[in-house]
Amino acid sequence: MAEFMTNRRTLLTGAAALAGIGALPKLALAQGAPIRIGTLTPLTGSGGPYGPVMVKAVKAVIDEVNAAGGVLGRKIELISEDDQTNPEAGVRAARKLIDVDKVSAILGTWASSVTTAVAPLCWESKTFLATVSGADSITQLPHQGYLIRTQPTTTLQGRKFGEFVIAEKAKRVFFLSPQTPFAKSQFDNITEAVKKGGGETASLIYDDKKPAYRTEIDEVLRFKPDAVVFGGYTPDTAVMLKDLFRAGFGGLKVAFGYSVNQKLVDSVPADVVDKTYTISPSSAEGSKAYERLVKLIGVPSPDPYTTQIYDQINLVLMAIALAGDASGTAIKDTIRKASQAPGGAKIDNAIDGLKAIAAKQPVDYDGASGPCDFTETGDISDSKFRYEQVQGGKIVLIKIA
Amino acid sequence: MTLFLQALMNGLMTGALIAVPAVGFSAIFAVLRYPNFAIASYATIGAFAAWWANVVLGLPIIPALVIAFAIAGAVGVVAEESALSRLRGNGALIVAIASIALNLVLENIVRFIFGNDMRGYDLPLMRDMRFGDLRIGPQQLQSLALAVVIMAGMFAFLRYTRFGKAMRAVADNPDLARLKGIDPARIAIVTVFLGAGLTGVGGVLIGLDTSIDPLTGYRVLLSVFAAAVLGGLGSIPGAVVGALALGIAEELALIAVPATYRTAVGFIAILIMLTFRPRGILGERAV
Repeated sequence: MAEFMTNRRTLLTGAAALAGIGALPKLALAQGAPIRIGTLTPLTGSGGPYGPVMVKAVKAVIDEVNAAGGVLGRKIELISEDDQTNPEAGVRAARKLIDVDKVSAILGTWASSVTTAVAPLCWESKTFLATVSGADSITQLPHQGYLIRTQPTTTLQGRKFGEFVIAEKAKRVFFLSPQTPFAKSQFDNITEAVKKGGGETASLIYDDKKPAYRTEIDEVLRFKPDAVVFGGYTPDTAVMLKDLFRAGFGGLKVAFGYSVNQKLVDSVPADVVDKTYTISPSSAEGSKAYERLVKLIGVPSPDPYTTQIYDQINLVLMAIALAGDASGTAIKDTIRKASQAPGGAKIDNAIDGLKAIAAKQPVDYDGASGPCDFTETGDISDSKFRYEQVQGGKIVLIKIA
Repeated sequence: MTLFLQALMNGLMTGALIAVPAVGFSAIFAVLRYPNFAIASYATIGAFAAWWANVVLGLPIIPALVIAFAIAGAVGVVAEESALSRLRGNGALIVAIASIALNLVLENIVRFIFGNDMRGYDLPLMRDMRFGDLRIGPQQLQSLALAVVIMAGMFAFLRYTRFGKAMRAVADNPDLARLKGIDPARIAIVTVFLGAGLTGVGGVLIGLDTSIDPLTGYRVLLSVFAAAVLGGLGSIPGAVVGALALGIAEELALIAVPATYRTAVGFIAILIMLTFRPRGILGERAV
């Protein structure tokens, strides 16, 4: 017991010492010590192909900003850690970034499991966290604003499907899906968008292991839909498309890009899948920010995660400049003033943004991954999507919007 | 009324699709006295063999079906003789478990050769015919006809050929059959060939309706097993009746319950059957 007491005393002393150290950076601030930003991306593990390019994009932006004089008269220092696409390794790396390196923000957590594990460390230590993970549950964590994400959620994807069918003048929309973790959220958000457009929806959740779906299709047709939205994966969607074709359905067909892919198109007769639309999240290809990023890192078509982390570093640097303070709390409080100030000047990179901020102009950042406007809870309220259509056995890009 | 009739018809067609592999499964059970769960992979192998014949060799569907029958049958015999036959002495449960393992091995061999991608037969897809409010698919009718012909052939074989009679004798009473000079080992090989071959043909019929991938057979395994239990394990007419009953029950249930619970109908059918009539609709022996 006595030993325990000693231990606790040591711990308390240690904590006091730590608090003292915590006060030091404030002292150093005046002397222009560097602002530290951490990246926590997968360099190994299943996310391994993405992490290195993501870090490259962050480093390129930081180098550029440093060359232009830094932020608040201070240099930016980048500290990169590997989360190994593994929550346990991610937590260890995040502790190092927070406790040892004392970073203001951590950018780029990739796997939803890693983000979920790391997020509490961040909000408890008042470190800002920007992530590219997609699971709906992440922004429902009690993060008190210390978390934003640039990846569209299922909620947003559902809305895009709904808005698309309404724009194609379909009023009666049927959602056909197997039981997936996102089926309900997808349908609810399609419904919301379709109702807003004066339409009606119905849905059928089917068992994806059956050889035929004739009675299910009968139920679909009884609704007399103008459009059918498919929420499934490739094998069951192929069967559904065949059965709909047999039944003589001639309306609009819309599916996820990962479901109606070239493999599916090759495996069914051309008529069955012809004119089917697909929707998938996309980078803002062709935008000024995107082209700038391509030039900056020399990668011809950067993946969505790279475009997202590029936007994250630009936004964080601008938020620091706006707040006049580099703490995580300051970033949390001002990030939306950098991303979506009403009537602000349209900005697509940090260099221009910092100039505008210095000139006391409000700014509205539109990035390489999309408009980057955040809701209260930290989700992006809009994002670019790729709209494609199957035409004569080929998947053809219709638009990115 | 239209709703009911349409569901009834749809049920008949799905039932006929399951009936062919269910007959194969029941034949093996009748003679060898163990449930062979490797039939899932035999169905897949049949589907891929027919795909190879149809798409790569450019053969029409009937010759492709014959090739599927032969290849699935041959694979069944080789698998039986190399892996399962020596376990038969240890009781049905051991063989049944081994057949599950065998199924995994065969499925992954298919995956190794053909990859994981979906494939489809090179056949035009026809629109349904309409009779008032009712729809019938020409392809489904064709599959139904094929299933009927195949099953009629199987009955004729069992009833009128010496081999068929010998098979029935072994199924009925192996000891008595041996006394009569029938070699159960030879009968076993032929039964497995027929059973696996029929399952392979069933795989092709399912593939015609849907698309094929290494899990094609696995997806219908539960329905096939349920149909066989429902009809009476080991009874070949029972397998047909069971499959049709199950198909109709599943489709009719869709009118009342959400489609997600469709598989549950199969389970409930097995449960009720085993509770009140363990030998199934046409089974003669309790199992």
